[in-house]
Amino acid sequence: MTPAVLTEFVLNGLVLGALYVLMALGLSIIFGMIGVINFAHGALFTLGAYVAFQVKDALGFPATLVVSPVLVGVLGMLIEATLLRRLYREDPLQGLLLTFGLTMVLEQGIRMVWGLSPKQFDVPPAFGGALRLGALTYSKYRSFILLAVVVLIVALTLFLQKTPVGTIVRAGSRDPMMVRLLGISLKPVLTLVFGLGTAFAAIAGVLSAPLAGVQPAMGVNVGTAAFVVVTIGGLGSFWGAILSGLLVGQVVSLSIYFQPRAAEASMYILMAVILLLRPRGLMGERWEKFE
Amino acid sequence: MTRVLRHPLTWLSVWFLVLPLLMGAAQSTVSLATEIVIFSLLAIAYNLLMGYTGLVSFGHSAFFGIGGYAAGLAQLHLARGMVVPLVVGVLGATLAGAGIGFLLMRKRGVYFSLLTLAFTQMFFYIVYGATAVTGGENGLGGIERFPLAAGPLRLDLGDKRAYYYATAVLAAGAIFLLWRVVHSPFGRVLEAIRENEARASFVGYDVKRYKLTAFVVSCAFSGLAGTLYTFLLNFAYPESLHVTLAGEIAAMTLVGGMRSFVGPAVGAAVFVFMRDTLSSWTENWLVYFGVIFIAFVMFSPNGIVGVFQRLRGLARRDGVGARVTTRSAGTPAPATVERPPGAQGEVLLEVEDLAKHFGALTAVDGVSLGVPRGELRSIIGPNGAGKTTLFNVLTGLLPADRGHARFRSTAITGRLPHAIVAAGVSRSFQIISIFHALTVFENVRIAAQAKHRCRFAMLADAGSFADLNAEALELLRAVGLGDRAFEIADTLSHGDQRLLEIAIALATRPELLLLDEPLAGLAAHERLRVADLIRTLRRSVTIVLIEHDIDAVLALSDRITVLHQGRVIAEGAPAEIQQNAEVQTAYLGHLMLAPEGTIPGARRAAAPLLRVTSVNTFYGKSHVLHGVSLDVFPGEFVALLGRNGAGKTTTLATITGVVPPRDGRIAYRAADVAGRPPEEIARRGIGLVPQGRRIFPNLTVLENLTIARRGTSGWTVERVFATFPKLLALRDARGATLSGGELQLLAIARALMGNVDLLLLDEPFEGLAPAIVEVVWTVLRELRGTTTVLLVEQNADLALALSDRAYVISNGSIVWEGAARTLHADAELRLKLLGV
Repeated sequence: MTPAVLTEFVLNGLVLGALYVLMALGLSIIFGMIGVINFAHGALFTLGAYVAFQVKDALGFPATLVVSPVLVGVLGMLIEATLLRRLYREDPLQGLLLTFGLTMVLEQGIRMVWGLSPKQFDVPPAFGGALRLGALTYSKYRSFILLAVVVLIVALTLFLQKTPVGTIVRAGSRDPMMVRLLGISLKPVLTLVFGLGTAFAAIAGVLSAPLAGVQPAMGVNVGTAAFVVVTIGGLGSFWGAILSGLLVGQVVSLSIYFQPRAAEASMYILMAVILLLRPRGLMGERWEKFE
Repeated sequence: MTRVLRHPLTWLSVWFLVLPLLMGAAQSTVSLATEIVIFSLLAIAYNLLMGYTGLVSFGHSAFFGIGGYAAGLAQLHLARGMVVPLVVGVLGATLAGAGIGFLLMRKRGVYFSLLTLAFTQMFFYIVYGATAVTGGENGLGGIERFPLAAGPLRLDLGDKRAYYYATAVLAAGAIFLLWRVVHSPFGRVLEAIRENEARASFVGYDVKRYKLTAFVVSCAFSGLAGTLYTFLLNFAYPESLHVTLAGEIAAMTLVGGMRSFVGPAVGAAVFVFMRDTLSSWTENWLVYFGVIFIAFVMFSPNGIVGVFQRLRGLARRDGVGARVTTRSAGTPAPATVERPPGAQGEVLLEVEDLAKHFGALTAVDGVSLGVPRGELRSIIGPNGAGKTTLFNVLTGLLPADRGHARFRSTAITGRLPHAIVAAGVSRSFQIISIFHALTVFENVRIAAQAKHRCRFAMLADAGSFADLNAEALELLRAVGLGDRAFEIADTLSHGDQRLLEIAIALATRPELLLLDEPLAGLAAHERLRVADLIRTLRRSVTIVLIEHDIDAVLALSDRITVLHQGRVIAEGAPAEIQQNAEVQTAYLGHLMLAPEGTIPGARRAAAPLLRVTSVNTFYGKSHVLHGVSLDVFPGEFVALLGRNGAGKTTTLATITGVVPPRDGRIAYRAADVAGRPPEEIARRGIGLVPQGRRIFPNLTVLENLTIARRGTSGWTVERVFATFPKLLALRDARGATLSGGELQLLAIARALMGNVDLLLLDEPFEGLAPAIVEVVWTVLRELRGTTTVLLVEQNADLALALSDRAYVISNGSIVWEGAARTLHADAELRLKLLGV
């Protein structure tokens, strides 16, 4: 096949990778701060897409990019405050099992509310068509996704590095008791972080809706992919999530190009290989909470 | 007879017998009954990992599915029958389990769970994609149930009822085998691993091997269930490998009850039944099951069976201990480990130039020592001396960076813990490390089992080895716990748990016993008990002891080795050590500084800023503070002195709210703050400079300061930088890059940024080079008069030179209080209270 087609697959890999990065970052913040692996991440991705579907006609696509993550984020904060918080003192596996139960409830709940059949989600007219960059032609919408993810990563970095709350989040991920000894209450920060993580999952869902359509099982693959990404990148590592998200995106996309049948399994094979060579993941940090 | 009737397997068999009848009455099908039986087997097999070993797998559907596909493929391509495909199905799942298990065994906890999930998805996609072989998304059809014929007997398995009974018999047999496994010596080790994996390793078990075996066994039986399911449906379909089913397996196991053997079967029945009945009312039955699951996770993690047990008030323990009586225990066999007898005076433990670094910190810096057989050696030293690190290297918890250690001419550095135990070295732990949910008897029996020939037996009954039982009881009697043998270990008092801790260490029949702070957190009478036990034990075992209770050390030891900053500074008989000036200096510091004198104005105030009254603090059962009382008046500089392990840091932890006191009062500005959350206490105006500084390594110096900022006046960032010019130069440096002295200054500055009224400092001079000590000392001297300070220090010299008043704490009680200059002037008193 021609270089042009190959380039398109590489770019598609970037787009896919970008979505994986969003999911992985959400998982990593939650894990780094709260110490819980959020199994419901895939279901929240799906919920994000459905909420966007629900409001897009009334509010227009740009608004859904804000409304959906905010609503899902609020739901996340409610879950943390009412359920998850009670399990912090218990065996960490209980938190895991709780988020697992939430997955069941959310996934089936979505089916209950919106039905089983896929929903139509057109590419917003403003982003229809293709961009021309010299010899290259690429979908405007996919380019927008890349731009949006870059903006989000920058925003998250700025939040963590430049705002007081972000500084508390960073400090709290290393020594939560010391933060409390400085007179800062951590409970609201934990709630916020969980909300932030779930909002990231939701916005990934919104962005991917026009690509693949909206259907109840859309989060399962992406959710598992997110776990593969954080396992490869090293749980709790910011740059690990970004690097391995992009890597996995490329591997999957290029597998579709070279060997479509193996595409789905490719990321797991990659993970198995990396874990054999570098058991702690690419950037592997030591996180006592989960080992 | 009643025992058989009440046996869980009897219940299960009855259940399997009546199930088809129940299904008929409920207007349901025999096939559904078969499904319940199959999922019961699957869930019980899964629970071998989850409930018994403590490994939560989210990927067991893979082995269920692989078993089914392997059997289907075998029937279609290999042998048109039932038996061969069944065997192939089980083998396929077993091999897959062995392969995956091998990759995963290094992982623990959440990482393990994540990876099982990923691998099951991988298998799902492989099966889904290999359409030519597996039929892809349409599944593998054309699988039949052939009749079984043996001589004149013929069973037409095509008949659903017949197939049900065949499945039930097979499943019951498999479950019976699993029952044997769970109650075998092997199964007991799995429980020990679940309870305390580290300790299981330290009594001599190769934990990885056990976990891998459990994993493979679980997979094999899951494969059997999958095979039976494929035959039931005449079909193998990819969804049986999907992570959704894997999650349902975990869910039904938890809902049924993972702490009981048959609990998962209850969960399986509930799940299948709910799925079938509810799905005829609503498509969304899984939501309701999900909600039920969440409710169980939140409120009853031991599932339905757990609820029943709570209602019946049982502290259940379905275990070996309950059935062993003194009658069934035979006489102890002679030591099953043959070791060549040693000569008196033979050097048992030889350590040569051992060193261990943690990054830039050198914990052990070239330690050499030799312990001859029969000696009772104590290792002492002030905080940070490297004692526990030394033990950790000697017992295989940490690798050495330099040097080596030998036990009876066998090298022990760089070897795994269980190998070192097998060689004859055993240890107890400073923080009690026992198997909490097991009985006292089982705790010791499992430790003794580690070197018994039966330790891998998977089908024998663990309680049937009379020699092992006798040995365990003997050991319990020897430490004085004989009459508490069948109580759950968690219910024991701290002192008794300490005795159990030692009994476990003894169960491995060591020649060298390393005891790490065996007297920590004990009340006076308990300390006597344990000390007596140590005196008795030393007649048969060589003992090396780490302790902070100096009186006990002086009374018990033949020889004492003193460590300071990772090196041996003295070694000799107790009396020699007491005379040794260098040792006293290490503990007390150099008394070269003249005291600053009382601060004018201090103590004129009538009301104390901080008043601690009769506070008792516990860490779990460990009674660390005994009725501690102290006052700090506004403007004062008060020192709290004591040797390490005395309770100084715990006192500060109690005041700051990190550990709530069991009773007593802590009044700050006359308001009781005992037990309030740390953030609330801090906001009232108490600031802490913690031991180890605890600077946020990922934040810059400036960020470490601004995060602590409270109040609008007083200490600002500008004032801090003016007072600590060193920190200004490091303004944008990340905490992780700072040196010890810089960290200490930053920690003090950070606490000041809170504009606090009471500043608590925990060992600010620890580990600092002399030049930096001077800097910190100057800073603290500047604070006198303007800030109220409570300084906790082991280095009495420096603290007394700064303070107005001093308290001395020993073994959790205040033993002296008075003017700082009194203690400063009285060398003999100082030595008695704080030296060796």
